[in-house]
Amino acid sequence: MSGLRRALGLVAIEGVVVGLVALAIILSSDHVEARALQGVLAVFIGWSWIGAGLLAWWRRPDNRFGVLMTAVGFAFFLGTLNAANARWLFTVGVLVSSVYFAVFVHMLVAYPDGRITSGRLRRVVGVGYVIAILGPLPSLLFATPERLDCDDCPESVIFIRDSGTLYTIFDVLTSLIAVVLVGYVVFVMLARFRDAPQTRRRAMAPVVWSGAGLLIVLAGSLLSMAVGGPSSISDATMLLGLALFALVPYGFVFGILRSRVLQAGAVTEFLHRIGDGPDPSDLRDLLSTALGDRSLQVVYWLDRPGKWVDAAGHPAVLPPDDDPARAVTRVDREGRAVGALIHDRSLTDDPELVGSVAAAAGLSIENERLQAQLRARVEELRASRARIVAAGTAERRRLERNLHDGAQQRLVALSLTLRVAQARLHEDPDAAEAMIAGAQEELTLALAELRELARGIHPAVLSDRGLEPALAALAGRSPVPVEVARTPEERLPPAVEAAAYFVVAEALTNVVKYAGASQARISISRSNGHAVVEVTDDGIGGADPTRGSGLRGLADRVSALDGMLELRSPEGAGTVLRASIPV
Amino acid sequence: MGPTILIVDDHPSFRASARVVLESDGFSVIGEAADGASALTECCRLRPQVVLLDVQLPDIDGFDVCEQITSYLEHPTVIMTSSRDPADFGPLVTTSGACGFVPKAELSGERVQELLSP
Repeated sequence: MSGLRRALGLVAIEGVVVGLVALAIILSSDHVEARALQGVLAVFIGWSWIGAGLLAWWRRPDNRFGVLMTAVGFAFFLGTLNAANARWLFTVGVLVSSVYFAVFVHMLVAYPDGRITSGRLRRVVGVGYVIAILGPLPSLLFATPERLDCDDCPESVIFIRDSGTLYTIFDVLTSLIAVVLVGYVVFVMLARFRDAPQTRRRAMAPVVWSGAGLLIVLAGSLLSMAVGGPSSISDATMLLGLALFALVPYGFVFGILRSRVLQAGAVTEFLHRIGDGPDPSDLRDLLSTALGDRSLQVVYWLDRPGKWVDAAGHPAVLPPDDDPARAVTRVDREGRAVGALIHDRSLTDDPELVGSVAAAAGLSIENERLQAQLRARVEELRASRARIVAAGTAERRRLERNLHDGAQQRLVALSLTLRVAQARLHEDPDAAEAMIAGAQEELTLALAELRELARGIHPAVLSDRGLEPALAALAGRSPVPVEVARTPEERLPPAVEAAAYFVVAEALTNVVKYAGASQARISISRSNGHAVVEVTDDGIGGADPTRGSGLRGLADRVSALDGMLELRSPEGAGTVLRASIPV
Repeated sequence: MGPTILIVDDHPSFRASARVVLESDGFSVIGEAADGASALTECCRLRPQVVLLDVQLPDIDGFDVCEQITSYLEHPTVIMTSSRDPADFGPLVTTSGACGFVPKAELSGERVQELLSP
């Protein structure tokens, strides 16, 4: 920042020196009337522009508007060379005497960003510079000082011959082009003002109105000269134009001050009203009013699970950094993100305003964030409750299906076989005996299926003897070798034991189905008031947590006990399924 | 020789037992089908007098199969069967065009014969 300040200081010193040189030239001129008045006026105008430009430059170093304002001041001083007595200096002075106006038009077109993005406007500005140089050319080429009503002026060094016709043709032509150009720029400015959001208009108004007024006066003056109206009119409009021109930089300074005052007012008003403890929609409305942006949205940051949500707790998406229309101002409290304002990009012109309102809103946003977090949690609970009910229904359907297709079918077949065997017992005892033997086998299978099914509903050994034998039995039935590394010595609450058991059962099913592992390891420990269940394998990793309904159902089961389920499965480096359940 | 019959059920163990039971009671089991689609084709190909049709088939619902079979001009008599209780199905058995229902565990030639001769 000090580098910028030093550079701006140097520019200011240059401005003072150039202004004094211009004053000296005018005071020593032998063809300028009312030298003292003209000199003071010129210095006043030039310094006003340079001063206001430096102020803007300092406040918004990224915005080239300040640079352009400063350039208008320097270009204005350059134009005072036409007061010089030396012929060639005078010639150059006349040639560049309107350049300041082209810079001024450039500045207006580039307002308020200081940059011109549209190709057409860039061409318009280019034509402005060309016309500014070409405009005075006919008077230097084809007019004697007498024709220009300046008997004491030195003769132009590029004078060709005195020709009233050529002088008038060129002069009218360049004046008309300039009038059209100026009219178009006024149109562009007003259209842009109309389309700007409220906040931006407040700052734009002084510059737009003084700029547009000045341009209209200039156009009138040029038109009057071009059609050869009485010189009193063009003189009067020129004087009016100069006076307006001197006012524009003050309009700009006023714009800055006013936006600061309004900003302070908006923040004060906001602080005052937010003290009443607004509800979420009020908070948004208050912020929207304070910033003058009706499209404003407030979003809140949730640390767990790390996402943005709106006031209702629904997930929200921030616009990307390069979004042309929307921008984001983050709201932090004590170094932690609590929320963000999504607003019109034009507000980024005034980061102090958004920043101070955001800072003032910090506490309220923090409160709203807690509310939003609660709503998001309720939303999540509602969804998980619905999933648990759905999973319960699906589970009952699966059980009914398994019973029907498995044991029940076998028992039906058994019943039929026994009936036939009974009928044949006397006439064909050998066949009957074979049938009874077949029935015995069928009965064994039916019993096995029933046992498997019952264990799937709830393993009896778990409730009777605890996790250790239940896990050992799970490990024993797994086709992949499983080591039960650690189990808690004392019993855990039944719901926790059951959740832990099913986490391990699901994890082992996945290890067998997908992991391609050579071994797995089960560990259940108690730490910090939690039962921590871990199933690790040395398989291919890369497990997708969204795959299948198994993991989702487990996560719901674990979160119903206020626990957390995590899956770490880097590609090629095995999988760890970890559940931590408060005990 | 007794009436010809087609057994439709997706459980092979039941089809085998049903065949033994019905054949020992004098029926002539002329074919078996494991799902609704093959039940319809076998029905047209074999033209059985009776179809013993399971309610729950892997592709088409048994009642829909029954409706299709009984919509033919000269259709066989359809007897629905299931290991579930007939009360589970409400009025579906009669509305589907079936002649009656036999619980799987109570299947016998006698029960089928009773339904065939009202």
